Amino acid sequence: MSVKNISITPGWEKYMTKEYLDLVERGPYGKQKKVSEMGSFKEVLEEHPMCAGCAMTLFIRLTMVGLPNPEHTVLIGTAGCGRLALTQTSIPFIYGNYGDTNAVASGLKRGLEVRFKDQAKDVVVMAGDGGLADIGFSAVMHSWFRKERFTTIMLDNEVYGNTGGQESGMTERGALLKMAPKGKMFEKMDMIGLAQTSGVAYIARLTPTNPTRVASVVRKAVLIAREVGPTFIQAYTSCNIEYAIPTPKVLDDARDIEAKRYGFMEIISDEAKAYLDSIDTAKKAKK
Amino acid sequence: MYLVAHIDQAICSETACRLCTQYCPEANTILYDNAAKTAFVAVDRCKGCEICVGICDDLAKHHAIKMIMITDLKSTFELSKEGFRPDKWDGNHP
Repeated sequence: MSVKNISITPGWEKYMTKEYLDLVERGPYGKQKKVSEMGSFKEVLEEHPMCAGCAMTLFIRLTMVGLPNPEHTVLIGTAGCGRLALTQTSIPFIYGNYGDTNAVASGLKRGLEVRFKDQAKDVVVMAGDGGLADIGFSAVMHSWFRKERFTTIMLDNEVYGNTGGQESGMTERGALLKMAPKGKMFEKMDMIGLAQTSGVAYIARLTPTNPTRVASVVRKAVLIAREVGPTFIQAYTSCNIEYAIPTPKVLDDARDIEAKRYGFMEIISDEAKAYLDSIDTAKKAKK
Repeated sequence: MYLVAHIDQAICSETACRLCTQYCPEANTILYDNAAKTAFVAVDRCKGCEICVGICDDLAKHHAIKMIMITDLKSTFELSKEGFRPDKWDGNHP
């Protein structure tokens, strides 16, 4: 969980895989990589078994570029599609049981703060809408009430994609799914509103239609979670299998949904804004 | 047999949009050669989703990416064989 841990013991280079050597030598560690540099540095995300053309994969890939310090980050996930890619990153990943992701993250973050006093460690929970809004709902809400300092990212594909298409709390009203043949009868949960009520310091809702924006939102959320308080990102990452979207149309669908109902929204507390400004001023002063 | 993305480097090197590298859902699949100013595809990682084709045609309007049968490619670049070594790229990408 630091550059030192990732680097290879001298003399052991020949035993390491090509991918690992590339990552250590040409990876993003120690320097904040930009989205515009993608394709010319080795990414922390490796090959993974997620479906072709999955918008969630695109979002996860961009998230990994947005992380301010991948070498000082721990990811927490749970059952669901996202973990298929999250486990293929060179970032420590904790597979929480369904429902306890944010409880695990709370304990972990507190422990890391005690253990590493002079090095900020980031904890990022990344799970699906089912894992966070349905099954993990109580742990999510309580971590926000307690103002735990970590980031919660919801990969909102509006369905239980991994188990055959059951409706989730985040499914739109009326959506027809394999396991919801009559259409969903209830409204989509308002997680943004709930986050606002619980006093989350930074809330964002977005779609992966703008890569630079995704990376910058993730960066802001992780930085604010270090010092200020809980942060929440709700990202529309369509399931092209359960919603039968042909893969070439995945981004058209994302743009469509963004324009129709999802939009881009950012709610930032005054304290969080002041903290971000202080980081920018410190950066400019350094230059 | 299956389709993979193929980038026409004559068209791509004329521009510097790099959009396909950002929108591909797979990591390190569409690579970018800074020296030759062109993107190219690691075919062993391409899952054939065609997102890059839509991006290049509709968003960038460069029409440089086509889906092509893997058997029709004369030579291929495979990341698992070559590794990620930009210092070894000589600008001649398949």
